[in-house]
Amino acid sequence: MNKEPLFRLTSVSKSIAGKTLLNDISLRIEAGDFLSILGPSGAGKSTLLRLFNGLDSPTGGTIEYLGKPLFSYPMTELRKRVGMVFQNPVMVRGTVRDNLCLTQRWGQPSVDLTEETLVSVLSRVGLSPAILDQDTKTISGGEKQRVALARVLLNKPEVLLLDEPTANLDPQLARHILRLVHQLFEKLRLTIIMVSHDHSLLSNYTTRIAFLIGGKIVEEGAAGILEQPSTEAVKTFLAGGVT
Amino acid sequence: MSQSFYVITWTDVLVSFILVAISLGLIRWWKIGLEKTLLIGTLRTFIQLAGMGYVLTFFFRQRHWLFMVTLVSLMILIAGFEGYRREKEFRIPHYFAIVTGSLFFTVFIVLGIILKFILDVQPWYYPYAMIPIAGMIIGNALNSTTLTVNRFIGELQHRDQEIEMLLSLGAPARVAVQDPLRNSIRAALIPNINSLMMVGLVQLPGVMTGQILSGVDPLIAVRYQIMIMYMWITTVIIVDILVLAFVYRQFFTPRIQLRRHLLLKKHL
Ligand SMILES: Nc1ncnc2c1ncn2[C@@H]1O[C@H](COP(=O)(O)OP(=O)(O)O)[C@@H](O)[C@H]1O
Ligand SMILES: [Mg+2]
Repeated sequence: MNKEPLFRLTSVSKSIAGKTLLNDISLRIEAGDFLSILGPSGAGKSTLLRLFNGLDSPTGGTIEYLGKPLFSYPMTELRKRVGMVFQNPVMVRGTVRDNLCLTQRWGQPSVDLTEETLVSVLSRVGLSPAILDQDTKTISGGEKQRVALARVLLNKPEVLLLDEPTANLDPQLARHILRLVHQLFEKLRLTIIMVSHDHSLLSNYTTRIAFLIGGKIVEEGAAGILEQPSTEAVKTFLAGGVT
Repeated sequence: MSQSFYVITWTDVLVSFILVAISLGLIRWWKIGLEKTLLIGTLRTFIQLAGMGYVLTFFFRQRHWLFMVTLVSLMILIAGFEGYRREKEFRIPHYFAIVTGSLFFTVFIVLGIILKFILDVQPWYYPYAMIPIAGMIIGNALNSTTLTVNRFIGELQHRDQEIEMLLSLGAPARVAVQDPLRNSIRAALIPNINSLMMVGLVQLPGVMTGQILSGVDPLIAVRYQIMIMYMWITTVIIVDILVLAFVYRQFFTPRIQLRRHLLLKKHL
């Protein structure tokens, strides 16, 4: 019965120190979308993604979540519902277990952190339970990215924001992680908003694509637009040229 | 016992310039090239402390509580301004108010307990107790907050990604900076706790040395020193926690976002 979209961005802009990073962005994201935001480096993709869980505020326009202004939600609660995985998976000092149980630091009774749950969330991201007590200093970049995913999943989010989750991984690992994200999308019915500057791996997974170039959404639509872009800027970008 | 047996006259003080002369000779011999600075420093020590002696003599003759309260308030304001001035690389909102306010509170608590319950000074504003103790509290508090706040900002700078990761999991601001808070307070406290461990084993503290030289029974001097050590560690803990409790909040918006631009040096 709720016909409101999950996210509605209306004329959102963001400028810092007189520099316009995002310009007049309007976007509807429905529950169940797998939206990929594509664009060259420096286009403002990370800047845009950080608005969805309120890590930054826009300087103009409005963002709504389920029909209500995003910032009318208590931020700590909203960020549990809209989880985020950063480009560099940051680990706190300690073991994988310490990193999975971070929410204990602020006593979240609703987060289930029993051994059983930890093991099952690890298997969901393709890690064996043996890694639980390993120091995060000794695990690989790909494993860190998976731990970061598992950590967010424990919050049982509705939306997952991913900022170039595969940028620092070799192509084979990148495919693994993408497949994993797609499994989460299908099995957990998560809405996914993923930022990437590399379109080559996406077409099998994504349901929608938005091209962000120079702080503006220049084209937006179903995954098919990868094959037939209509703007010159997107054609140049997809051809690997500079825009 | 309490006759002052080693009274230094002004002539004696002039004779102590011999020590400086030796130092001067040494740095000249090794061509260190600091003769002028050392001379200026030597003269300033003389002038400032001699001046302070006269000023203190004047203060110690005052017998009005309002005068003492004003004086201590002035000392706190000057220290607050100095603390603000030292934080010149970063612009922390409300920093002057935070430092000054925290100093006021700390002095009120620590000085209050000492004057009222430990020394039991009559009247409470008796200048011989109030002025030097207030000075010690304010001086230690100021140095410690400078160290603590600098360390805290350093921690924020190199852990900004970790802090935002915690925020994005739903952490309140206080939890997201728990480790930086803890590390910066520990860094300020550890040297102080070490001197609680070491005091008297190698070196006598300056205050005690002065007291003993001017003829005070060592057992009395020691009691003062113990009180001073406890006062000092308490001051540092109270003021550091108080200052950080307000400082960390300046780095977050009401929407619990890290204000990254505050972590850039001022001139950028
Ligand atoms: N705090 C900031 N101050 C000024 N410029 C910034 C700031 N953050 C990002 N930028 C600039 O904004 C642009 C977009 O950055 P970003 O969103 O990280 O791009 P992307 O993720 O698409 O590579 C870049 O040119 C970057 O230099
Ligand atoms: Mg980016």
